[in-house]
Amino acid sequence: MRTLLIRCYPAAWRERYGDEFASILDERPLGPFDVADILLGALDARLRLRDRRADVIEGKGFSMSLRIGGIAAILGAVSLATAWFLGSGLFAVADTFAGFLLLLGLGLLLVAVAGLTGFQARTDPVASWAAFALLAVGTIIAMVAFVGAATLGGDGYWNLGTLGLLIAIFGTLLFAIVTYQTAALSRGAALLLAAGSVLPFAAMVSNLMILTVAALVCFLLGWFLLGVQAIRLDRPATDPRPA
Amino acid sequence: MEPTIPEFGRFAEPSLLILVSLSDGPKHGYAIMTDVEQATGRPLGPGTLYAALARLEERGMIEALTPVDRRRPYRLTAVGAANLTEQLHGLSAFARHGLKQLGVTEP
Repeated sequence: MRTLLIRCYPAAWRERYGDEFASILDERPLGPFDVADILLGALDARLRLRDRRADVIEGKGFSMSLRIGGIAAILGAVSLATAWFLGSGLFAVADTFAGFLLLLGLGLLLVAVAGLTGFQARTDPVASWAAFALLAVGTIIAMVAFVGAATLGGDGYWNLGTLGLLIAIFGTLLFAIVTYQTAALSRGAALLLAAGSVLPFAAMVSNLMILTVAALVCFLLGWFLLGVQAIRLDRPATDPRPA
Repeated sequence: MEPTIPEFGRFAEPSLLILVSLSDGPKHGYAIMTDVEQATGRPLGPGTLYAALARLEERGMIEALTPVDRRRPYRLTAVGAANLTEQLHGLSAFARHGLKQLGVTEP
């Protein structure tokens, strides 16, 4: 009977407490109250073990999401910044290479948004995933349009690309607002992203080149800082080395 | 009154009784059970005892010592002692408040 009751507990629990628990059961006669109490205790131990495993799995998922998002944000920002420099005409590099970096950077930012949204969505899932959807749709439209424009040519592709970029910019603005509100990641980076989303419109209205440059700098720096902070958050808070 | 260890749920009261039992020195499981039963007049089941012990140990309020035969003694940690003091102060203030509302003067 005693062995059977102890077997109701999970193996990990038995390994830790099994011996001493068995010695207690040996020291006193078991009544119906004790049997019921032990069965409830076994149920509690199993539920706690399941919750802890779920926490570990969930924690690993968020950690992975944060790491992938952070690395992709940094690489995406660097890739887009390089594409920008190379495409500026200051360097004797083929446009196709700059175009490749542009597409690569946009693709990486898409991965970054997915990863960081997976982390932020714990706090505000609706707004987080809405921002992701806008950004993803806009970026994919822009990527397809840029490839179409580069390979087939035609104003239609450029117009489609502009539409995609506009959607992506609105998505970035919403993503920046969500990031600021949830405060799960850097608020400073969120403000830079917001500035990078609003300044292009100011640049279009005023026709000032400096505003376009400022928008690009804010946009790229915002993603880069978000990536850095995501990777920093992913590290353990305490030093795991023994004292 | 704010519960000090709210996540302990139905094991909050047994945990408090265990902390009090360990406050005068280390004890193994069976000694805690008999001590609590003597102090409260109510039996503490082995399932409840170990569910509470596991939670207290996880929170660093008690620590396990080297087993003697198959009996493993537990002792109160500094965290556990501080938590127990806080809980007892809270209960004491609550009791004074209740007595005052009833119009019962303290001896």
